[in-house]
This record gives sequence, structure tokens and C-alpha cells, in this order.
Amino acid sequence: MKLPLLSVLAFTATTVLAQSPTFAKPVRMQAGGKLLGGGRLYPSPVLHDLDGDGRADIVVGDLRGRLTVAKRTADATPTFAAESNVLGADQKQVDLQNW
Amino acid sequence: MSPQFVDFDADGKLDIVAGIFDGSPHLVRGSAQGWQAPEQILDRNGARIVFNQFWNFDTKKWDSTHAHDAPGHQREGHLTSAVAFDWDGDGDLDLLLGDHSTGRVFLRRNEGSATQPRFATVNEPVLANGKPIDVPGTVATLRLVDWNHDGLLDLAAGGMGDVYGQNPGGGVCIFLNVGSKTRTSYAAPVTLLEPSQKGAHEPTRPDSGLYMDFGDLDADGDLDLIVGGYSHWTPVPRELSADEKQRATELEAQIAAADKDYQALFEPINKAIEGLEGEAQEKKYTELYAAQKDAFAAVGKRRQALQTELESLIPAPKRESFVWFYEHLAGKAAPAK
Repeated sequence: MKLPLLSVLAFTATTVLAQSPTFAKPVRMQAGGKLLGGGRLYPSPVLHDLDGDGRADIVVGDLRGRLTVAKRTADATPTFAAESNVLGADQKQVDLQNW
Repeated sequence: MSPQFVDFDADGKLDIVAGIFDGSPHLVRGSAQGWQAPEQILDRNGARIVFNQFWNFDTKKWDSTHAHDAPGHQREGHLTSAVAFDWDGDGDLDLLLGDHSTGRVFLRRNEGSATQPRFATVNEPVLANGKPIDVPGTVATLRLVDWNHDGLLDLAAGGMGDVYGQNPGGGVCIFLNVGSKTRTSYAAPVTLLEPSQKGAHEPTRPDSGLYMDFGDLDADGDLDLIVGGYSHWTPVPRELSADEKQRATELEAQIAAADKDYQALFEPINKAIEGLEGEAQEKKYTELYAAQKDAFAAVGKRRQALQTELESLIPAPKRESFVWFYEHLAGKAAPAK
């Protein structure tokens, strides 16, 4: 049976990607010389350009519901400044108040 | 709580969507003045969006419901993760919700519009390869990413795993979207990070509670991973001298005695609250515990000092949180279609 070209391509891509990718040995990330996520309850990082400088910062949420940001510096290699609180319109830390 | 930056209400400003441990998805609206106060995302009837377990803010207790189960899918789920996603290509954002208790993923369809969402009242099970999604180790977080560069958002899931003990931890898998812009359809999961088997002598990876995101951090054209989570490890014990061995034995006995003392302090309290219920029980417990507060503190302090000394001789299992960088080595994925 002759399969339509698109079906063949889709099948091939899915098959190739069905194999697990290869990652380098993981390394712990730092922000401002400190280990990122240290001491946080279930740190949850998300890459997002929070300050609009064209570089993806790392926003970290946690179990308590609080948000911090480690801003990416202008260095060519990925380097992140010390974490600071993500502030709301009321100038207080954004806090989803998990409890 | 893993935040998603997304324009939830189509007003041109990014908002933050996140499921949290109270059992519901929440929204932080972006505005010209900045991030607004968090609010719950409600269904079309104005009710909280939950699976089964949820924190009841009125009674201040954990509560349970089966009012939103799809027929044939009654479980004991606990919603703790959420991402907004246009499931059916109708121009508004639906909600994909992760289950911290069972590993399932559910959909709440947006029956309103992009600017005025009205979410369905039933949790619709999301399938992968024809079967309900069941993330190994239960769902810690969900993320949307076009992993295979085919223009469709795929669904990634981080696993919780055993967060305290020595049973297997969490991994990361991805469900490729093999449907279309208007019909999301997930294939069987592809493992990106195998669930941890633990047992390391130093921090080597995130072992439990894996919260990941994707990005090309090293600018080489492929998607790397950053993963938050707990590392579990037990440092290699050193050879102890005869005196140290003896001291370790003494310390273990003293710790056992401290635990017994602690229990003995609790016994009269437990007896006194027997037969009481609800607020009366809580009130009596608080009153008796407060009366013994100093005694509890003294035993706790003694035990901590003994444990610290013991751990200087025999290392105890460690558990700490970090964020890890996984560089993707496989090169850019080929375009799919």
C-alpha cells in the first residue's frame, strides 16, 4: 500500500523522536554565586524574559507559592545574577499563598 | 507551583497561570501597573476548579468531591499543576491540569471566549496513544514545548516520585502532539530523563519532585532542560576507630531514649483528647501541648545535639533542593512535517 508522503514524513519524525535524547551529565545551576533553588521547597524554574532585555531569565516558583527571578547577565556564557523577588503592582513579592 | 507566563485573557499582557497545592489553578493578571493579586480560576458556574482533594478555605480542612469526575474516571486526584493551552484551535485557552496523586492529566475546555473564559465543569481525561495519561511517579509539573519543531505544542511532564524514601524518584517524559492545530492528539510518552533510582553518594541529579522547563541556553540550536527538584544522597561512611564505633552505639541508644521520652510526653495528651472531636479536640490538644512546650523543646534540643554528633560519625541520608542544567547533546531535531 502506498502511503501519502506527509504520513510517511510524520511517521518517520515520530519514530526518530521516540528514542530518548542524549543529555550531558547535569550540573547544578548558580545565580549570583549561590546554588539556584537551594533551600526552596520544590523549586520550579521557568525560562522567561522578565525584564524585556532579550535574554531569558529564570523565574523560580516554589511550594509556598512565592516567585523569585535570577536575571541572565549580558555574558556570552549563560550566567545569572543573584535571585531577587518578583514584585507585584503593590511592590510586594508575588505570592500565590499556597497556605 | 510551576508558573506559566501566558496571555490568559487575551488583553495583550502576559499573565501567570499556576496550579498550587490547595488543589486549584490560579491566575496572576499582568497589567500596566504590574502583577495583580492572585485569584482562583473558576469554572463557568463560578465554582473552583478541582479534581477530588482540595483545601476547603471555609472549613479550613482538606475536603473531597466527585462532582467533577468524568463518567468512569472516579479517582482520588489532587490538582497541583496547570497550563493554559488552545487544545482545539478555537482561539481561546483551555486548561490542562496535572494530578499530583495519580499521574493523570485532565482537560477543562474553555466554552467561552479568549477574553471571557468559561471553563467546563467536568475533568476530561487526556489520552496518549489511546489510553489515559499516567505519568510515572505522578505529576509534579506540566510544560508545553514544541520539542520536535513541527509547529505543534507537545506536552512534557515532570514526575514527583518518592519524595522522602528510597523508592524510585521522578523523571521527565514528553507526549508528542501527533494531531493538528485543531485536534490535539498525544502519542505514547518518550522518556527524556529516566526516573531516578537514587542511591548516590553525592548530589548527581534531581531525584524527586522534578519541575522542568525547556530552552536553548547554550545557543546551539536545540532545547536544553533546566530541572528543579530534590537530590537524595548518602555520603560514603568513613572507617571508624574502635572508640568511635563505641560512641556511635552510645549515641544511637541515647537517641532511642530521647524518642521514648518524647513519646512519653505525648501519651497523657493523647489520652486526654480521646473521645473528643473537632474543635473541642483541637482546643484541648493545643492547651495541653502549650503546657508542655518547654519539655518538648528540651527533648528536641537534646535529640538534635545527639543526632548531629552521630552524623559526624555515620553520615545520614541527605535531601536538598537545587536547579539543574541538562545540556542537550543530540543536536537540533529534524523538522517533522
